[in-house]
Amino acid sequence: MSDRLRLDQAAKILLGVWMAGIVVAMFLVVPQYVGLGDAGRIIILHVPTAWITTVAFAVSAVYSIRYLWKRRASDDAGAVAAAEAGFLFCALATVSGMWFANIVWGTPWNWDPRETTILILLLIYAAYFALRSALDDVERRRRLSAVYNLFAAVTMPFLLFVAPRMAESTLHPNCAFIQGSHCDGIWLELNGARVGQLGDVVLALQGIEQRGDLAVAQVEVRMPGLREVALLTPSFELSSGKPADRPEFPGQQFLLAVEGVDLTNGRVLLNMEAPGTGLLSNSRTFWTFMAANIGFLGLFIWLYRLRADVLLLQDRLARREVAYELPA
Amino acid sequence: MDPRVSPQSTVEASTTTAPPKAPLLTAAWAVFRKDVRSELRTRYALNAILLFAVSTVVAMSLGMGPLTTSRNADLPIIHAALLWVAILFAAFTGLARAFVQEEEARTAAALRLSARPTAVFLGKLWFNLALLLLIVAVTTTLFVVMLRVQVGNPGLLAALLLAGSLGLVAATTLIAAIIARASVKGALFAVLSFPLLAPLLVVAIQGSANALAGRGWESGVGALQVLAGYTIALFTASLFLFNNVWEP
Repeated sequence: MSDRLRLDQAAKILLGVWMAGIVVAMFLVVPQYVGLGDAGRIIILHVPTAWITTVAFAVSAVYSIRYLWKRRASDDAGAVAAAEAGFLFCALATVSGMWFANIVWGTPWNWDPRETTILILLLIYAAYFALRSALDDVERRRRLSAVYNLFAAVTMPFLLFVAPRMAESTLHPNCAFIQGSHCDGIWLELNGARVGQLGDVVLALQGIEQRGDLAVAQVEVRMPGLREVALLTPSFELSSGKPADRPEFPGQQFLLAVEGVDLTNGRVLLNMEAPGTGLLSNSRTFWTFMAANIGFLGLFIWLYRLRADVLLLQDRLARREVAYELPA
Repeated sequence: MDPRVSPQSTVEASTTTAPPKAPLLTAAWAVFRKDVRSELRTRYALNAILLFAVSTVVAMSLGMGPLTTSRNADLPIIHAALLWVAILFAAFTGLARAFVQEEEARTAAALRLSARPTAVFLGKLWFNLALLLLIVAVTTTLFVVMLRVQVGNPGLLAALLLAGSLGLVAATTLIAAIIARASVKGALFAVLSFPLLAPLLVVAIQGSANALAGRGWESGVGALQVLAGYTIALFTASLFLFNNVWEP
């Protein structure tokens, strides 16, 4: 056995053990998240697969460029294999995301920006395979599908730019996607600026009181589509310096959180959060999540290289068959 | 002179790589005129698409006609979405024709010999654009009349329709050249084009809804900018990639 083979073998075993460890850690190491229950564990599976999908798309595009440049069969095999592995991860991310959304947000599909992007990505992959199956000539199939792959890659930045404008808001935990929101929230003062805006929600601070270790703020909420004014009472734990009770905005999945309190001057820092925000601030979750990212990346690399080798081998066999059947 | 290059081979090279003597735009114009002339002889695409557009709009107005009388706040966006769906599917039926016909009539090889790839691409692009603008004009007029749509800002709507058509043509002309070489042409054209057109559709529908609702130009400037950027990006990418598609 050569050194290269032995190294490959060792890497494969390591990958298997690593992935098994992640599956175990997903249930034993990651703590239950308050708002999401066991469904919150999906972050270990869902986010890395979604991330690998985009990586696979980029890898496939790079191979396509190389194919058009050098016209080597191995580059085409790489492009197809990366796209196939990417399609697999894309389907996994979509299905796991829909499952999670159905449990936590009450609907499997919400036209959230990331849902839109991943759906279009799924369609592009499918179109790429449809095109390949419709072209008979080998050389032409490789050339035209590489062109289509690159052409599709050109539209991706527009999709990433446009998708957030489609839905009014997002349920994915990322404040940058919430229209008009600042990731830092707003400070409201009892004696000064009592009214402020987060996105299209108008907040008015009514009072702050201290109940033991908790600082509780009374906030009046006005939002479009809501006839009456709602009164929410988010609270803040003074000893740990972290938000405690995060009430939901009426009729929406977003939460209102107090992220800072200045009791002497009567000031509070208010921010809106999507459910799941702060999931990664737990260090056990964070490290399992990072390990899962590495594991899934390794899995993707192993999958697509294996598939590329198989494709090349098939191609070589097919050509040999043709060569033997031709009359000398 | 290089002894390895015989005079004969230079002559051969110049004939096989097309006669580059005509300037690019002149050659492209010639391709465009050839396409227009052959289309006017058969009127295949023209008839098919116009009838398709008419039947789509009639089918929509059969169901949507009564909606106009009731005051529905979402009506502008519904109308805008329906209008763009009609335009999109009319485009899917007609825009592949320019390249598919060359393959079916087996004239692609002759075209390869007589014009540079870029000239062929530009000529076909102009032809598709002319065809699409005609479709858009007919569809929109019919749509506005038959569904009793109130257009609040006609200038903005026209600008968005023009920008959207430019983007649509920039995206689909290269795809048409690709699918002309494949075995199941019609269905494949829609399948390959749709994912690439998704950003364009989103922006165009939202902008058109603003125009129908009668909002000012400032509500559509963002959409026009995105459409212009999309058109430029895809047009440039097409110019780079078309040589690879057009190889025999």
